[in-house]
Amino acid sequence: MKLRDLVVIRLGVIINLVIGQVVAALLLPLFLDAVGTILVAALVGPWAAITVGLVSQVLNAVLSGNFSWLPFGVIQVIIALYAWLAARVGAFRRPWTAAPAGLVLGVIAGSTAAPIAYHLFGGATAGGVMAVTTALRAVGMPLELAVRISSVSTDMLDKTVAFVMVSLILRALPNQLRARFPAHA
Amino acid sequence: MSVIRLERAVFRYAGRPEPALTVERLDVARGELVAVTGPIGSGCSTLLLVASGYAPSITGGTLEGERRIEARRPALVFATPWTQLTGIAHTVLAEVAFGPASDGLPREQVLAAAHAALERLGAHHLASRDPALLSGGELQRVVVAAALAQQPDLLVLDDPAAELDPEAADRLYDLLGDLAREGRTVLVATPDVARAAHVATRALVLERGRIVADGVPASVLSETDVARIARAAGCPGPLPLDVAALVARVAEAG
Amino acid sequence: MIGYVAGRSWLHRAHPYTPLALAAAVLLLSFAFHTPVPVWLMVAAALIMALATGTIREVLGPALLLATPTWLVLLVLHGLLGEPPKAPFGPFLLSEPGVARALVLGGRIGAIVIAFLAALATVSPARLVDGMTARGIPFGPIFLLVSTLTFLPRTRERAARILEAQQARGLRIGGSPLARFRALVPLVLPLVLGALAEVDEQVLALETRGATSGVRRTPLDPPADPAGQRVLRLGLVVVVVVAWAARLTNRI
Repeated sequence: MKLRDLVVIRLGVIINLVIGQVVAALLLPLFLDAVGTILVAALVGPWAAITVGLVSQVLNAVLSGNFSWLPFGVIQVIIALYAWLAARVGAFRRPWTAAPAGLVLGVIAGSTAAPIAYHLFGGATAGGVMAVTTALRAVGMPLELAVRISSVSTDMLDKTVAFVMVSLILRALPNQLRARFPAHA
Repeated sequence: MSVIRLERAVFRYAGRPEPALTVERLDVARGELVAVTGPIGSGCSTLLLVASGYAPSITGGTLEGERRIEARRPALVFATPWTQLTGIAHTVLAEVAFGPASDGLPREQVLAAAHAALERLGAHHLASRDPALLSGGELQRVVVAAALAQQPDLLVLDDPAAELDPEAADRLYDLLGDLAREGRTVLVATPDVARAAHVATRALVLERGRIVADGVPASVLSETDVARIARAAGCPGPLPLDVAALVARVAEAG
Repeated sequence: MIGYVAGRSWLHRAHPYTPLALAAAVLLLSFAFHTPVPVWLMVAAALIMALATGTIREVLGPALLLATPTWLVLLVLHGLLGEPPKAPFGPFLLSEPGVARALVLGGRIGAIVIAFLAALATVSPARLVDGMTARGIPFGPIFLLVSTLTFLPRTRERAARILEAQQARGLRIGGSPLARFRALVPLVLPLVLGALAEVDEQVLALETRGATSGVRRTPLDPPADPAGQRVLRLGLVVVVVVAWAARLTNRI
């Protein structure tokens, strides 16, 4: 892997890990922990983005101490590939094409996360998702369905915002910077 | 023998049609200490990158004309030390040793080179510190030491004293002078004309991407405050560039 | 809190791969087992590991902090809201299979978190870098794992400064949900664009120092890797493979 790719991948991972801090300061019901992955998918390509996703998953575990969530790394691969495809068809050129693309990813990612959350963790995963799951379960919904609904709904919002954010970032790139990323026409 | 030769060289950055650098002919010989100066945006940094071979290979862009560089892996130092850290070294010693270690040299040699480089920068007391916790000035010295540890034939520095206090800056430029006398070729871009003039054997002045003056520092670099005062006072010939030189000139004049 | 804690235990002095291998084995075995007893044996193993490193105090606190909320949710989701048959427990009616499942899931999380925190406590980043370099691991993976963590604090600081600067310019971080969403842009954009602008300089710095030399880098202080530890790590791989084989063929 070229040195430049490594540096951009590192940037992507750091973005993934730091934006959570911004989101928390704004008290938003989001994670936005894949903005780096999506950005690198658009700027460089699928392999770099997959690397961003997997490394982020590992480092998140190292920083938070919660290594049990490593199996969710599979989702990062899906996000990376989808974002790359979305970039290739030009979804990021306008925020209002990016948003529905993000929504669809939210459904896909949330649906993939759900069986992992259900089978490996019995529905107990990240805070907000857990709360929704518990509430739905308490009103009698079967657990598997509750997990699926809470997972998908939180992810739909999260990925929509993430895709819009990346679209805005790409549009804001100065020409000179844009020229340094040939993958991003 | 030229260490660097540029002929009819035109460099453009990607995404910008106008040339960032146009050099008809530039020859830099071994052991020269060349000070490069000019207003912001005049192409000093670009000249350093082109002269060391890292533009366009790392920076992107296009280079026309001819270029020949007779130096193995020129060492580069910028003004912002924290972007130059490898990030995988948890001690200053490991950071400085990264260059020689990357050449696969035996461990003793790597450590010896690193220790020696730190000594020359007066930074040996920092050897076991964590680079992430150093001040800007300390870090700048570490970064120069890291470049030095590679025993480079060609050392290229872009405003290396930006983070340093005056005393440390003086020592750094003195060190550059020593390095040039040892046979290394040094290119340093700096707005600090007075300090550079002290030790440089040659000065280039750039304006809008072109070399507009090239010669002995005293005759070329005339923009220090002292020089302006001296010129206004009608001082003939090569202008004194700092206070010491002015005092000497006044004493001469009787 | 979380991270390296200096010490002189056997695991501290071992090759950095060894504590990591132990933690990885705990993780993989915890997912292979799916009845309470073997899972809680893994919890015991993880606790023994933490005790053996002398870091039990530093590990247990954060581990409990991380695990307890999940345990409570599991108890509610599976214990209280689980399937019959139910048995009374104090004032509550708990689902028997639900409680068993909660024990398995909770035990898993506990074992994994304790084992990895203990491993993190005994592996100093510098030693890990040297260990990986000595094993011939190329610059790329080491760079991605280690330098990211080193650069993180600076970027966090920058994010905080951008927040201050934008607030000084009138940005409000409270208000309606829509306003808060829109506040994301002036906070995230400068952070990302600033980072992208530094890429060229960072690549130059690494390139000129020989990061891409292609030559095997000399480790400065390679940790010893005695045969006994290599055998132990190999043994762990075997145990994990056997356990998963048994799991996948439904023998456990």
